[in-house]
Amino acid sequence: MERKRFLKSLSLFAASPLLLTSCSKSTNGIEEDSSSSSGGSADGTTADTSCAATPVETEGPFPTKTPSSYVRSDIRKGDGLGAAMQIAITIANLNNSCNPLSGAIVDIWHCDVNGDYSQYGGTGMQSTNYTSLNWFRGRQTTGSDGQVTFTSIFPGWYQGRATHIHAHIYNSAGKSLLVTQIAFDDALCLSVNKTGSKYGYTKGTNGYTYNKNDNVFSDGYARELSSITGSLSEGFKLSITIHVSA
Amino acid sequence: MRQIRIRYRKIMNSDSEGGWEKLVRGDSFAELKMQFQRFNPEGRYFTFGALLGANPEAEQLHFLVGGSVLGYLEQLRGMIPDVADNLGHRFMRIADCRFEIIRSDIRDIATHEVAFNFYSTPLLWHGTAGSLLIVSDPRTDDNHDQQDAFDTYSFELRRHVSIDKLRELR
Repeated sequence: MERKRFLKSLSLFAASPLLLTSCSKSTNGIEEDSSSSSGGSADGTTADTSCAATPVETEGPFPTKTPSSYVRSDIRKGDGLGAAMQIAITIANLNNSCNPLSGAIVDIWHCDVNGDYSQYGGTGMQSTNYTSLNWFRGRQTTGSDGQVTFTSIFPGWYQGRATHIHAHIYNSAGKSLLVTQIAFDDALCLSVNKTGSKYGYTKGTNGYTYNKNDNVFSDGYARELSSITGSLSEGFKLSITIHVSA
Repeated sequence: MRQIRIRYRKIMNSDSEGGWEKLVRGDSFAELKMQFQRFNPEGRYFTFGALLGANPEAEQLHFLVGGSVLGYLEQLRGMIPDVADNLGHRFMRIADCRFEIIRSDIRDIATHEVAFNFYSTPLLWHGTAGSLLIVSDPRTDDNHDQQDAFDTYSFELRRHVSIDKLRELR
């Protein structure tokens, strides 16, 4: 009896698999090193030959498809700096008698009151509120009236450039139609930067580049010039029609 | 005792089987195809590497494309994925995250390889047992490093996981 129990215990021990480290394929999809790399910024990947524990946890919710983080109308930074500005852009189709273009994807981006753009290495990058990484960048799609609106601020300025907003317009399939910039009236920009320190415009105007000297606008900017109403205290409203060939 | 930061480079390519990874790849590929055009106005280039060689400003695409898929980071609920302690639990919190395009040909999603680089909140590294680092999380209480007893995690530095910052204490 003793011998039988002893042998049985031996066989049980031999049969039980080691469960401490399961070497199942991890979900990060490591692949063999490829000899030619078309990636310019990083070395190739190599096969993961280590044997490491895969997380074994209570199943979480299934991953859900989310829209692009750029798709939002309010693109403000959240630090309260900058005079409020509503931006209204109309996209007109040159190939259709300048009628409004529906379904156009409109990306805009601009700098903060100090002339900085959101990017890696910028300030405020340690937050776990990830959508805050994209300040002053946004995307909207035009309706049948060809219009999109954004809630933002009057941009700041930086050395060598007049105040401007970048815009990239795509058709509904994502094909690029136009990369352009929206220009601002010089006198208004000077006024905002001279009198707007309460709103965060503390740079002043020393060294400011006027539109006629700006390397993007100096060859003419009539079609890129926005129309702006309002004031620092009431907030501004910018409107512009951008013409594309769709 | 040392304070360390862990970096995990989570690579996603055509072999990635997880649902989350597939969504990140698919959406980032769509975004790359859109934003690529801004740096490639004549349509001359099709691969990220070739574009970077011709137009160094295309370096921005890591950030610009990553900026489109931030919604998927929210679904991680602040925890670095995949990297488990020896008990099988994820235990590291995300302090920062940077998206990386490793390679891509905008004509073929099969070539699209990207990564999220996750950076942990600071951990205290107490010692090493075999191949396992013994660490504790100072965010669990104040004056953590003044204690003489700690709740610890044991984990292995697997491939693509690295200590990328270190500070000697005391």
